[in-house]
Parts: sequence; structure tokens; C-alpha cells
Amino acid sequence: MRTVLAILMVLCGFALQAVSYFFLAAPLGIPSGPEYSNPRLPLAPLLFILGVMLVFLAAVVYELLPEREQA
Amino acid sequence: MAVQERLERLPYGLGRFTPAWYALAGVLLALVALGAYAYLRQLIEGLIVTGLRDLGTMRGAAWGLYITFDIYFVGVSFAGITMAALIRLLNLEALKPVSRMAELLTIIALLLAGLVILPDLGQPLRGIVNLFVYARPQSPFFGTFTLVIAGYLFASLVYFYLDGRRDAALCAQVPSRLQGFHRLWAAGYRDTPAERQRHARTSFWLAIAIVPLLVTAHSTLGFVFGLQVGRPGWFSALQAPGFVVMAGVSGIGLLLVVAAILRRVLRLQEELTPAVFAWLGRLLLLLIVIYLYFTAVELLTSLYAGHHHEVALTRALLVGEYSALYWVSMGSLVLALLLLVGQVALRAYSIPLLVLSGLLVNVAAIGKRYLIVVPSQTHGALLPYGVGWYAPTWVEYSIILGLFALGTFLYALFVKVFPIVEVPAVQGGKR
Repeated sequence: MRTVLAILMVLCGFALQAVSYFFLAAPLGIPSGPEYSNPRLPLAPLLFILGVMLVFLAAVVYELLPEREQA
Repeated sequence: MAVQERLERLPYGLGRFTPAWYALAGVLLALVALGAYAYLRQLIEGLIVTGLRDLGTMRGAAWGLYITFDIYFVGVSFAGITMAALIRLLNLEALKPVSRMAELLTIIALLLAGLVILPDLGQPLRGIVNLFVYARPQSPFFGTFTLVIAGYLFASLVYFYLDGRRDAALCAQVPSRLQGFHRLWAAGYRDTPAERQRHARTSFWLAIAIVPLLVTAHSTLGFVFGLQVGRPGWFSALQAPGFVVMAGVSGIGLLLVVAAILRRVLRLQEELTPAVFAWLGRLLLLLIVIYLYFTAVELLTSLYAGHHHEVALTRALLVGEYSALYWVSMGSLVLALLLLVGQVALRAYSIPLLVLSGLLVNVAAIGKRYLIVVPSQTHGALLPYGVGWYAPTWVEYSIILGLFALGTFLYALFVKVFPIVEVPAVQGGKR
């Protein structure tokens, strides 16, 4: 459970970074119009930062999640 | 199962605030207040109270002391997390005693790096809000913020926190005013074999993740300058690796100084042996040699085959307006190199000489950072605006002094509330 949760957080973090970088931030390419200056979704940079933090937060969750009580 | 080891009292003088500590804290807080007052003046009156002016027609420099020290603080942060990661990955047990003090140096240096950017923004709140809403993640400026603050600082905090849980659990057993704080930090840690194994696994993977992050973060900061094609002195493929290496030089140098001070003040002669300092000295020597090689390559390229703007800028550094600072910086670096080479050759290490080397490389680091930031703006214009100038004012000096004092105060405070060196294991008994 602990490992699965930590791996999920790492994957979600990387996915959030990739999606915000490639699809939500200002488009890549040679700027040919104003749409290249602004993010497609406002706060896309914040999502990218949250993605970076989520990856490292997985380590805290992995260590701090309480042990399951033995029956 | 409870923590098996027991402490009879808090180690390393934790919780004991002496009159000397209060005196130091008083001086540092007074300097912080001076910095805060200077910043308030700047916030009310605007950047006109600084020496910063627009480029071009104003013939000034838009980046000055604040950006110089931002790069310096980010550079200093290199030491801690690199040490922690290398100790973990290469099993360098000899350096373990400096691990936590280095990690703390990283965290405080990164906090200062984040804070020193604020006065550089004319209206800080507008800058901070817009960054999260509109920034372009592909930009090196945003990359620096994301990797350095969000990634690097957050990863360091996570590593630092998890690494300290065992000692927090040990300290939490001792009745004191700090017991609540230690208990909170320990977060239920009981030092069971399963917890130890889990921590070993986490710190290994964190170290694996941190090393590439570290290189990328410092390189990205170099790219902020190195990718500016229209600015002689900045546009260079060597900026990124140069930033990484200089970060190592200043970080390891400051770590030597901090370790020596703590060794003396906290009487850590048993933990911080001369062998630890010798390790750091050898590492510093290696990094200085690499940096001097980069410097020679860059000088040769710009003087031999550089565009005339590039040559003019290099002449300003070598024999012109900036020559005094340039040669003081290079002299400090070479002197530190000679001191270290002598000790390595004789295989006789002296802690005072190693500390002197650490101080010298930090003087060189600040000087070199200034020489990267300022001359390219005042002497590197491609358009015919003429030579500009920049002189920091008391406001800028006070803010920087205040930030140094804040960093020192935070470090001194932490040393009094948490073991700065890992509490050694004692088999089945009390310490």
C-alpha cells in the first residue's frame, strides 16, 4: 500500500509536470502571435511547480504512513 | 517498540541559550532590522534609491548586487545537498559528520536566494503573482525558480526532515522546553528495523533524484546568462558548467568555514576530525582546478577570436574599470589553490589554512559573480550607447548585510534547538 501510494504520487507529479509544460503553458514554437505569450490555462506554471513538489512529497508519505496494525 | 537508545540530556548544548548567544543574536537581529528598514525605503521610494538604472539610454545596469548575491546564495547551496547525496550514494562515511550542517547551509542559502530576488523586483507582489499565473515553464528564468526553489529547496527540506527524524525521536525522550518540537519532528518514529530500512531506501532514491536536479538547477541559472545572444560576456556554452563548478567551490568553501566554527563552539573535535576537513579540502582543490581551466579557456577564446565587443569587455575586466575586482578575485582563487596544493603535496592538513582557503574562495566567488552580472550590462552593449556604470548604494549594501545576518541568525538558532551532528548510536544503553 505504502509503495503503491508513493509510486502513484511520483507518477502523478511527473504527469502534472508534462501536461502543464506541453499542453497548458504557452505553446512551444516560433512566436507568430499573441497566443504564444500567454499560457493556454492561467496558473499552468503553478501546476508545474506542484508537480515537482508532489514527486518529492512521495518520500515523506512513504516514510510517514503509519504501519498497519498486526492482527 | 520504542526507540532503543536513550539520551540522559540533550546533546551539543541544545536548549542552553548562553549570554554570548543572546549577544550574537542581538547584533544579527539589529542588522536584519537595518536591512528591513532599507528595503522599506526602497519599497516606498522605488528603485531610484538603489544604483540600478536601465540599460542603453540610461547607461546603467538593471541587475546589480541583488542578482550577484542571488547567484552567490544559490551557489553556496550546492554544498549541502551534494554532500548528503554523495555520502549516501558513494558511501562516504568519513564525511557523515558534516552532512547535516551542510544540508542546513543549503536550505538557508536557498531561502536567502529566494528573498534577495524580492528587492530586485520593483513591485514584488506583482512579480510573485504573475509568475504563478503567466510564466512560461520553458524559460530559463522560470526554470531557475522551479528547479531551485520548488525542486531544489523542497527536495532539500524533505531530505533534511526525514534524515533528522531519528535524532528528533531520541531528543523527544528528554524532558525539556523543546520536547514538543522534537516530538513533532519525529512524527512517531520509533527506530524499528523496518523504519530504518525504509529510510535507507527513501534517502537512496532521493539522492538519486537530487543529483541530476542539482546539476540541472545550477546549469539553468547559467543558461539565464549563457543563452543571451546579444550580450557579450554572457553568451557562452561554458556559462552552465562554469556555474555548476563555481557553485561547488563557494559551497564547499563556506562549509569548511561553518564546520570549523561549529567544531570550536560546540567542541566537536571527536566528530569533526582533521580527516573530514582534509576530504573537503581535496574536493575544493579539484573544483578550483576545473574552474581555473574554464576561466583560461574562456579568456583565450574571447581574446583570440572574439568579436570586438567581446574583446572590449574582456579588456575592461583585465586592465580597465573592473580590473581591481577581477585580479582580487583571481588572486584569492589562486592563493586558495596554492594553500590547498601545498597541504595535499605535504599530506599535512591544517584546519586554519583550510578555513582560510574557504574564505578566500568565497571572496573570489562573490567577486566573480559580480563580474559576470555587471560588466556585460555596462560595457557589453551591441548598440552604440557608450559605456555605462553602476555603483551600489547604502540601501543595496544594507539589504545584503541584513540577509547575511538573517541567515546566520537562523543557523545559530537551529544549532540550539536540534543536533547539528547526527547523535552517535549507543548499543543498548544510555548516552
